[in-house]
Amino acid sequence: MKRLLWVIAVLFVFTLLAVPVLAADTFDLVIPLPLTGKQAKFGEIMKRSYEMAAEEINAKGGVKGKKLALSFEDSAGKPETARAIVEKLIDVKKQPLIVGEYTSACAKAVAAVAEERKTPYLVVASADDAITKQNYKYVFRQNQVNDHYADAFTSFLKEVVKPKTIAILYESSAFGTSGSEAMERDAKKIGAQVVLNEKFETGAIDFKPLLSKVKAAQPEVIYSVSYANEAQLLMKQIKELRLDAKLFSGGAAGFAIPEFIEGAKDAAEYVVSATLWTTQLKYPGTKEFAEKYKAKYKDYPSYHGASAYAAVYVTADALKRAKDWTQDGIRDALKATDLKTAFGPVKFEDKEGYQNQNFAETLAIQVQKGEFETIWPKNHASKPYVYPVPSWKERR
Amino acid sequence: MKRYITYIVLGLLALLPLLGLNSYLMHILILVIMWSVIGMAWNLLSGYCGQVSFGHAAFFGVGAYTAGMLYSKLGISGWWGFPASVFVVAVFALGIGYICLRLRGPYFALATLSMGVIFRIVAENLVGVTGGDLGIMIRERTWIDKTWYFYIILIVAAATYYLVRKVIESKLGYYFVAIREDQDAAESLGINTTKYKTIALILSAVITGFAGVFYTNYMGYIDPKVVFALHDISIITIMVVMVGGVATYWGPVVGAIIMVLLAEAIRSIPKLGTAHHTLFGVLLIVIIIFLPNGIVGDFSKLKRLFGMRRPAP
Repeated sequence: MKRLLWVIAVLFVFTLLAVPVLAADTFDLVIPLPLTGKQAKFGEIMKRSYEMAAEEINAKGGVKGKKLALSFEDSAGKPETARAIVEKLIDVKKQPLIVGEYTSACAKAVAAVAEERKTPYLVVASADDAITKQNYKYVFRQNQVNDHYADAFTSFLKEVVKPKTIAILYESSAFGTSGSEAMERDAKKIGAQVVLNEKFETGAIDFKPLLSKVKAAQPEVIYSVSYANEAQLLMKQIKELRLDAKLFSGGAAGFAIPEFIEGAKDAAEYVVSATLWTTQLKYPGTKEFAEKYKAKYKDYPSYHGASAYAAVYVTADALKRAKDWTQDGIRDALKATDLKTAFGPVKFEDKEGYQNQNFAETLAIQVQKGEFETIWPKNHASKPYVYPVPSWKERR
Repeated sequence: MKRYITYIVLGLLALLPLLGLNSYLMHILILVIMWSVIGMAWNLLSGYCGQVSFGHAAFFGVGAYTAGMLYSKLGISGWWGFPASVFVVAVFALGIGYICLRLRGPYFALATLSMGVIFRIVAENLVGVTGGDLGIMIRERTWIDKTWYFYIILIVAAATYYLVRKVIESKLGYYFVAIREDQDAAESLGINTTKYKTIALILSAVITGFAGVFYTNYMGYIDPKVVFALHDISIITIMVVMVGGVATYWGPVVGAIIMVLLAEAIRSIPKLGTAHHTLFGVLLIVIIIFLPNGIVGDFSKLKRLFGMRRPAP
């Protein structure tokens, strides 16, 4: 019995040790992220960007003389685990604000806890509309809501493409579903008929049955919403089937990360995607961030990275302005945020039924010669758009 | 000592919230108890009755959605899911049993596995009924403090433990074990195997459904991918019991402690990054290789290992 008690005691100490000791001259910020599982790619981009921003801020002397000490915890995209991390941060580590998470399901779980515990939570890249529609006082969102993700893309459709028919393909997730609903509404507004609105399984690898349906419907525009792998496979199989349309397009996420071009290769060419940010924007710091990231990791960051990068600046700014570093002090400071960041201007507003939502300008990008180019709106464009896109036959 | 150990453990657990634990530890404890409940339920069907199910997420999800839909469709508290789920889950379990229980061994396992997936896909696509992939979000959870959640799941766990024990020590339990050991022999002895397998399935399903109801009320957000998850629910359920000890009373509890508490402890070691899955996986492999009957099942082996056993006279 005594031995057994020892084993239990050791295990218990082990658990306690897992909580590192607080250092005095730093501000510790633990960020929950998906670092394993399907969403790991996005988590990785964001982790690198958080770190870069913290390094820069610390190099300039930190916040009120304290250095930002970032660390990360892996939630693997599971709401249960995300919640465990956040409970620990609030209760054990007494962290006065929460930043991070990626999937909408996790963000919802975290937001509910943050609101209950009156701890400000800055959502960085979770899109589901519902998160900032709950009358939460303590939940702030820096990225645009899914409902508006495709705003720039829609105006591109309206002014350039003027399609009569559109097919929407989306993956079975909260992000995919709300993205398709938003596009359906937008299509109605610009007078395009939705000839097909089909869902596919997340993690699907064979899209051919679905694509033959698309072929039969002959839409002018194909619009898809999905995370990483499906986007690449979808375009590859469209190419294999020689399925032609006037425009291939995607709704951010999987279509707007460098892996899309790497994975889909020439099938990615001319694909237009909605996005929240591009490396060619003229916001202060955008170019520096993009180039620095590329120099370090050999790839340009996606909007996820930029949002994460800016989130650290927003946090630092709020900490600087906060009366005191309590939960309410930081909340009030966040609410008053009006900052120009590499991600664009950040300001948390209450409108259209949303609370504490940053309504950032969205953009449309197109893959041209294996690079993302900003094509819409015109004042941000880095290259003119290519439309209509050449058919698969003409391409070689 | 041995006779009272159940009461002692229960009593100690009931006193735990009085220690004023922080909400992080309470969250982990609640998850441990919730997983013990699911583990005990699975153990009843698969451990004692020998019908290995790979689809317990189906019952968990149906329970969770019963509570969620009472809230979202009828506007009443999700806690009514407890009484409602008994009926709903039992009906679904009857349906599944009708199809799957004709199959034996690996075929039964595969059929239940597909059932779990089918339920998820159905829940994703019946947007009008379940809300589809957008899930159900409970705007305000009943309590901020975790004490009540703790007691509710503790009561469910205690009742489950009592029920499993009563069933296994009764005639019913002997039928279950007889079916596990040799279904044909059991049949030839006059045991109506279909009937008793169905009973085991329904009992197991209803208890798992309870855990689902609790999950909805506790977490406040469900979607089909979360509650009908193949890996995160069905497979973890099996792991909980395998690691703890199949067909033992305390196995699922010990398994839940390992799968939740130890997993969380390893995950929180700073600077380990993404390697925690590897570390935890290796640990599970070691347990399964050296303790094939689980920690409780091979407890005598463990005792010897730690030198706690007195030398044989």
